[in-house]
Amino acid sequence: MLKNITLGQYFPGDSFIHRLDPRTKLLATVALIAIVFVAQGFSGFLLIAAFVLACAISTGIHLKFLVRGLKPIMFIIIFTFVLNLFFQTEGKELVHWGFIRITDQGLRMASFMAVRLILLVVSSQLLTLTTSPIALTDGLEALFRPLEVIHFPAHEIAMMMSIALRFIPTLMDEADKIMKAQKARGANFETGNLIQRAKAMVPLLVPLFVGAFRRAEDLALAMDARCYRGGAGRTRMKQLKFGTIDVIAAVVMALLLAGVIALNRLNLF
Amino acid sequence: MPIEVKKLTHVYMPGTPFEARALNEVSLSIRDGEFIGIIGHTGSGKSTLISHLNGLEHSEPGTVFVNGVDLGGKGTDLIAIRRVVGLVFQYPEYQLFEETVARDVAFGPTNLGLDGEEIQRRVETALKQVGLNPAEVSEKSPFELSGGQKRRVAIAGVLAMQPAILILDEPAAGLDPAGRREMFELIRGIHDSGVTVVMVSHSMDDVGRLCNRLFVLNRGEIAYSGTPEEVFVHENKLHAIGLDVPECAKLARRLREAGFDIPEGIYRTEDVCAAIVGNLSGEGDAKC
Repeated sequence: MLKNITLGQYFPGDSFIHRLDPRTKLLATVALIAIVFVAQGFSGFLLIAAFVLACAISTGIHLKFLVRGLKPIMFIIIFTFVLNLFFQTEGKELVHWGFIRITDQGLRMASFMAVRLILLVVSSQLLTLTTSPIALTDGLEALFRPLEVIHFPAHEIAMMMSIALRFIPTLMDEADKIMKAQKARGANFETGNLIQRAKAMVPLLVPLFVGAFRRAEDLALAMDARCYRGGAGRTRMKQLKFGTIDVIAAVVMALLLAGVIALNRLNLF
Repeated sequence: MPIEVKKLTHVYMPGTPFEARALNEVSLSIRDGEFIGIIGHTGSGKSTLISHLNGLEHSEPGTVFVNGVDLGGKGTDLIAIRRVVGLVFQYPEYQLFEETVARDVAFGPTNLGLDGEEIQRRVETALKQVGLNPAEVSEKSPFELSGGQKRRVAIAGVLAMQPAILILDEPAAGLDPAGRREMFELIRGIHDSGVTVVMVSHSMDDVGRLCNRLFVLNRGEIAYSGTPEEVFVHENKLHAIGLDVPECAKLARRLREAGFDIPEGIYRTEDVCAAIVGNLSGEGDAKC
């Protein structure tokens, strides 16, 4: 059950996208999200979808992981689809059945929203699938560094994020272990009503919290022992550097944006 | 309650780049009253194997039978299996959660649906079995005990379910020498009371001293199995897969190579000692 979470999972590789500077990837993802909102028709979406698909294939990651990542938000996608379908009443009527009225405009709007959501999720997933958590937080820290002028704690937040990301697999492992141990003592996590299930979580959560605090203390001690004292004056072993491929990526993103705007103007479909 | 494992294969995260084959067609059988040792290097599949023995993991293909019941079968009552096969994980003290020791030990029996009096009785018996004084520790919080005591409480929590088979994963990991000795004495006592014991370890000295039969795992497969004598003969090959033989077996081999009259296959401190004394005095039955 705990092993099926792909959202935020990193797949090592050596593709063009894998080799991009994490800052480029972060900015490109933000740009891609913006471009998805810029698109006003399905022709634009088609172009973006083709681009995202090409990117996904180039990374060498099996497409089923992108699809699997959609599962957790499938409910939201269906919910917005249904909502848009039933509450958009303008346009030509397609179905009229009791109080249910479906119009062509409603159908168009609903599909538009669903496709937009899917594109948003898939493109942000492409970022987390191809960027190691460490690179991701390094990139974020570098991007937020200018805000330190207004006392935004960029380093501290990046450090907190990388520690949190670092310990997610560890805690998942530990949760799995404790769960097995309690199951071996006859605990039942699967059946029963809501209250029974909530109660059944106590033997899992208490050891998990105790373990998390123990780890936090150990980590703090280890950081202290190596003279960690925050971000001021800290240098890095791996410096982030923009290269030719980052320029290529920027050009590609600009072309994509231009393409989508052009398609908006043409207003094909 | 014999255990029968037939061609058990387990693959972690199949179909992903992280796919890992933890067990590959492992077959073994454990008879009543045995003291089994499972040895292997880190990542050899020991822990995965024991998780299969009480149905915490199951996979196709391959099957595990406990007392003739197929653990992978549909409709198998796994809770009933878990009361028969007790499993103590590595560092079991990290699973303690209750406010008092007594309530933590009672968690297993309570899940079995026993009545209050019986639970009370079992908690006391289990605590005594692990060498703790029920009157002294029952009402304490498990978190204020020492590391060794915590581990004993955790083992008591499994013993309170009165399993016929007890599986322990590295029960002495992280304990000091005195703690290790006490832990093994405790497990020997549990075995003497009629419980079949399966112990996972990577210390040959420990399993050699205690177990009557060993399974050596290497990369998810059984490399060697048999009595300690039969297994320790393969000293060089065991070295090659990152394992060792007991210190006394090494000493015996080197003396034999140096021309002394030391029989093959001995590994117990007492036996090796007797053989050396026999060589010195010229009498085979000399005392150490």
